[in-house]
Amino acid sequence: MVSLGVAVIVKLEPDFSEGNVSYNSDGTLNRAETKNILGPHSAIASRAAFYAKVNYGAEVSITTMGPPIADYALQQAQLISNADNLYLYSDRIFAGADTLATAEVLKSGIKVMQDQGRKVDIVFSGHRASDGETGQTGPQTAWKLGYTFLGNVISYNVDIENRKVRAKRFISLQGFYDVIEEVEASLPVFISVDPSYKADYNTITQRLSIMKNRKEASKKSQEFKKHLQVLNAEQLGVDVKFVGLPGSPTIVYKVEKIPKAKPSRKASVVNGSDLNQIRDIVMKMNQVISGMIIK
Amino acid sequence: MTLTNISRPNNSTGQDTNVDLKSQDIGESKYRHIYVVIEHEEGKPLPVSLEMLGEARRLMDNFNNKYMSNEKVVAIVLGSDVRPLCEELLFFGADAVVYADSPELNSRNLIDTKVISSIAKDKSLIKEISPEYYEHFQRPRYMFFAADNIGRQLSSTVMADLESGLASDINKLVIEDLEIKHEHKTKGKPIVYKKTLEMYRPDFSGFLWTTILCLDNRNPAIQRDYHPQACSIIPGVFSPIDRDTKRNGVIVNYAPDIPEEDLARIKVLSRRVIKSAVDFDKYKCIVSLGRGIKDSPEENMKLVERLAHTLNAEIGISLPISKKPYTISESLSSKYFVPERVIGTSGRKVNPLLYVAIGISGAVQHVAGMKDSEFVISINVDENAQIKDESDIFIKGRIEEVIPMLIEEIIEQQAKMVMKVKE
Repeated sequence: MVSLGVAVIVKLEPDFSEGNVSYNSDGTLNRAETKNILGPHSAIASRAAFYAKVNYGAEVSITTMGPPIADYALQQAQLISNADNLYLYSDRIFAGADTLATAEVLKSGIKVMQDQGRKVDIVFSGHRASDGETGQTGPQTAWKLGYTFLGNVISYNVDIENRKVRAKRFISLQGFYDVIEEVEASLPVFISVDPSYKADYNTITQRLSIMKNRKEASKKSQEFKKHLQVLNAEQLGVDVKFVGLPGSPTIVYKVEKIPKAKPSRKASVVNGSDLNQIRDIVMKMNQVISGMIIK
Repeated sequence: MTLTNISRPNNSTGQDTNVDLKSQDIGESKYRHIYVVIEHEEGKPLPVSLEMLGEARRLMDNFNNKYMSNEKVVAIVLGSDVRPLCEELLFFGADAVVYADSPELNSRNLIDTKVISSIAKDKSLIKEISPEYYEHFQRPRYMFFAADNIGRQLSSTVMADLESGLASDINKLVIEDLEIKHEHKTKGKPIVYKKTLEMYRPDFSGFLWTTILCLDNRNPAIQRDYHPQACSIIPGVFSPIDRDTKRNGVIVNYAPDIPEEDLARIKVLSRRVIKSAVDFDKYKCIVSLGRGIKDSPEENMKLVERLAHTLNAEIGISLPISKKPYTISESLSSKYFVPERVIGTSGRKVNPLLYVAIGISGAVQHVAGMKDSEFVISINVDENAQIKDESDIFIKGRIEEVIPMLIEEIIEQQAKMVMKVKE
């Protein structure tokens, strides 16, 4: 019997790195031309699961909702986390779901894992997706599962014996300052991992375990389909009224180009190769910084 | 000003005493008011909370005029010793404040979510806030949260609990009657949705605006109500109203029922204020860079670093740069391509004396973070870049050429100044 079971919710996202991302001439993303990869925040969540693997020998499962090609995200996450099981929730009726309807599918997926006899003590998700950027799906899934939600977690440790998690959270308070809060919560918990998440591996045992797990991970992910289960709506046992478009409270009413705002300043345009003009600009800069010009 | 105490739980149901409404109006009259969830620190509301109250006030004034109604802006505030905050919220636009005062309400998502959700569902509060709407009231019509660390998560869980829709990161709001024809919502038939909140959300590129609506399902096959219509609002985009100490309203104390078992599920062990390694407020000048460095990212990053050093400036970045889109040496990348340096709606809002925008296109999210700078100089090859409209001086040219000239000139002029001082 494993002492700890964790799941990671990941997402296949457009690759925003230079050379891979393609923009239309109007500045919008060209989705057809842009490659898809495991989202960077999903990768961080997978690293948090790897920490559980290395430190506590956790059983790790990776899950995603998406089209069949989303299994690529699962494979990448397996490589990072040395995951044991991969779950893809895929059904045409899931398409177009908003965050609430997506959370319904993800919740059902975790329930299926539990029905299969797996322990799910911690669910990890990324902070937010790079393309949607709502940051809502994680907490909504947590709420539907009835798990205690811990957001913006930058580090965590598990007290296996007492079934508790200690986590540090990063909270930015606009107009005030940032806060690091340490919390203790009983398992099960849902952790959304902050972009600044850090795992500390200090002991030799941990480092040896990392090497062993990395080796395993690379082997497993080469034949990732062996570990993969693909589940449709029926297999997940979801009520079709609560998923996809029918289950989404929100709709996208329209998409438009953001109209150019009225210029808030009137720029004087300067030719960058004209040394005389650069000289004037630097004089202006010095005056501005020394407070001699206040507009 | 009236102060009322209400204790929980209260399951009383209202008696129908009013004149009959048409069935459609009854359906609609279940939902009233804008509820605004307030965040605070050190006994003061966060700026975004006052901004939300300001926008709610403007929307509700128009709404009441247009629909000849008397719906309210209701502020919800949770925490320890929050009573003194309540008047302040009235001064900034609320008609009513519901406050829950308990040391246990210290921003633990689990507990705060349940209290906010129960306030939203609590009909008896309406007796104090607007007795004329008590009879049919079930839920708030609209609900606003802040799109920050706390509000983003709270909005998600509260709306999951209320089983309604939520749009995040909104920067424009309109209330309209809209005719909707939707495959699922209306089964393809045109139906007018009254008093619908149009929630405008800029996408990650900053060039597209998506309007999101939260609509009841009127299709008989999937008939379902989705209220409140809720959103999280980007800090810094709306203006608060001028503080008006003559404004008054109803303040209601809500005694929350917090189950012991929830308190045992999560404990806050410590809370420590940290100073970010990047403190923009300490600098008179900020130099920031965007995707325009892409032709030779390593060299350009070094140039920006030298320019910042020469100007004694802090370095900021646009959001795309924090996603580390270029391969540059780890020492530069880990120092500069980091979220703490992002200026804009996903990062910091700054107002230095001098802001130098290098290779920044000027997406709305970035502009929101720097538009209050005293003086703005931008460097860009593209004269059509939107940043031009936010600049006092626009230097058209390549980073590789312009910055070295600037640095040389700055050093020369600094030397002259030192000479003068010596003389």
